[in-house]
Amino acid sequence: MNRDQLSSGVFFLSGCLICYSSLPYKLGSLAAPESGLMPFLSGAAICLLAAIGFVTATLRRLKGERWAALLRGRAWQRGLLIVVALLAFVFLLKPLGFLLTTVLFIAFLLRAIVPQKWPLVVVVSVLTATFAYLVFEVWLKAQLPTGPLGI
Amino acid sequence: MDILPSIGMGFQTALQPINLFFCFVGVLTGTLVGVLPGLGPVAAMSLLLPTTFHISPVSAIIMLAGIYYGAMYGGSTTSILVNIPGESASVVTCLDGYQMARQGRAGPALGISAFGSFIAGTLATVGLMLAAPPLARMAIKFGGPEYFALILLGLTTVTFLASGPMWKSLLMAALGLFLGCVGMDVKTGLSRFTFGIIELFDGIGLVPVAMGLFGIAEVLLNVEQPEERSVVEGKITNLLPTREDWAASLWPMLRGTALGFFLGILPGGGAVIASFASYAVEKRVSKHPEKFGTGMIEGVAGPEAANNAATGGAFVPLLTLGIPSNAVMALLLGALIIYGVQPGPRLVAEHPQLFWGVVASMYVGNVMLLVLNLPLIGMWVQILKVPYPILFPLILLFCLIGAYSLNNSITEIGIMILFGVLGYFLKKLEYEPAPLILALVLGPMMELSFRQSLAMGDGNLLFFFTRPISAIIMVIAIFFLVLPLIPGVTKNKPAVDL
Repeated sequence: MNRDQLSSGVFFLSGCLICYSSLPYKLGSLAAPESGLMPFLSGAAICLLAAIGFVTATLRRLKGERWAALLRGRAWQRGLLIVVALLAFVFLLKPLGFLLTTVLFIAFLLRAIVPQKWPLVVVVSVLTATFAYLVFEVWLKAQLPTGPLGI
Repeated sequence: MDILPSIGMGFQTALQPINLFFCFVGVLTGTLVGVLPGLGPVAAMSLLLPTTFHISPVSAIIMLAGIYYGAMYGGSTTSILVNIPGESASVVTCLDGYQMARQGRAGPALGISAFGSFIAGTLATVGLMLAAPPLARMAIKFGGPEYFALILLGLTTVTFLASGPMWKSLLMAALGLFLGCVGMDVKTGLSRFTFGIIELFDGIGLVPVAMGLFGIAEVLLNVEQPEERSVVEGKITNLLPTREDWAASLWPMLRGTALGFFLGILPGGGAVIASFASYAVEKRVSKHPEKFGTGMIEGVAGPEAANNAATGGAFVPLLTLGIPSNAVMALLLGALIIYGVQPGPRLVAEHPQLFWGVVASMYVGNVMLLVLNLPLIGMWVQILKVPYPILFPLILLFCLIGAYSLNNSITEIGIMILFGVLGYFLKKLEYEPAPLILALVLGPMMELSFRQSLAMGDGNLLFFFTRPISAIIMVIAIFFLVLPLIPGVTKNKPAVDL
């Protein structure tokens, strides 16, 4: 199996799911289309294109194109840590408030991805959070969540 | 409406202090994102879009437009000094620009790039001013079938020109069309695929999707393998090009402007293709094509003029037909709708202050960019020296704030993260996200015009071919669809990130 075989297979199944999920919204007729028609057609198009992709990928596989690793030789763990940090930001934003969450978020990324020296981490995280707070909360009135200290 | 009084009114609007301020913020931000590799105008505009909700639509569009054409100016700086394109439209500038810098001619390369951008940007604004109103008057006669055909043409050309196999970009467009169906059905009010999530009732937000696909995904890819940047050392002098430099660059600039403007108007055209096309033309007409890639100033002047002219051209279909020709314009279309302005043929007549204000602001913005960029080269060089591991947390923070402040909702951040991860894998698997964004924006409009047309034609699919304009556009759209089936056509297609 090569990359395109796998991805087109996933898209084919997704297209089938979209088509199936569109049926409850009713397709109507061509003269009087209903809410389900457009998502159904989109799903059908995804299925058709994924099938074309699968066939061409299979032909290439038969000629010898093999699976090429997506993540080998790459520091993919960094990306994973970033996604974890983003999710943590989502969960901490309301209970801790914008300012504190932002300081923690920036400090974590500066230390965990490509470790920076502590003084730089502290200065950049505090300054960035304060600057963002002043611009978005104070100046642009973005109504960011406040924490236990009211900021 | 006569052009002179209209543009006079436009300047009245653009020269108001508040609009001058937002124009300045836009072009400065645009230059910054152009300078910084890994952050493009789509991501920057999505980041700043929520902050514009508190200002007038005119100021907001002036600022967002400034980001777009400002990014074209900034992109060349990184190409010339670091040999890394700050912006995908500046890829070609690396070829000769960096070689000029290595030969100690960074100053003239940056200078001619700035002047070329200024001349092209200004001429393209003249083109926009002259082309848009008559086109808008013609487009008023368009009905559902014509709109459906135009949107189909936009999607097929974008997918044809996107990098990689066409089935992949068409698949992205189909996915975008489906995502565009999420939310309330425009005709019946029925809620579709919302799973009871209130934030989805108005559809999946363009901003979190764009920030995810273009901002978060880009960061996830970049941190895996941060690129080594070696900025050209030494003081940059002689920014003003010599008489010989001007003589060599003037015609490439003018050719690049004309080419860029027309390619910018075409759906899927845009700045990237314009710069590639201009480089190819200059190489072809040159008496010394073999010297291209060794530091020829024509190889900088032409493409830089072309990519700036293309930004002006790209506004024509957006402001006259309401149809974006690329992902940046799709974002601007989304912004206009959020501000309660319906883009399309009536925009010029119904919102003259907005249209002419934006056009006039482009003249002002181009002057600002020229005045700003040459003296600020030193500052951009310093910014380029900031290591990516310090820069990316700030990019992520802006994404988070941008997504949250859309509706003060955590859900929007969740959507952004989801599309960030999706975008990461799509890029890894070589799927181009630009057609998805374009289809997401155009989806609701396409669905409405499709259903209107079917109702008008009593369910007859051939109805699209019974009206002359829609028939012509449909034939062109089908032509782009079947073109890749012709052997050899896609082999010579340049790999372009839209």
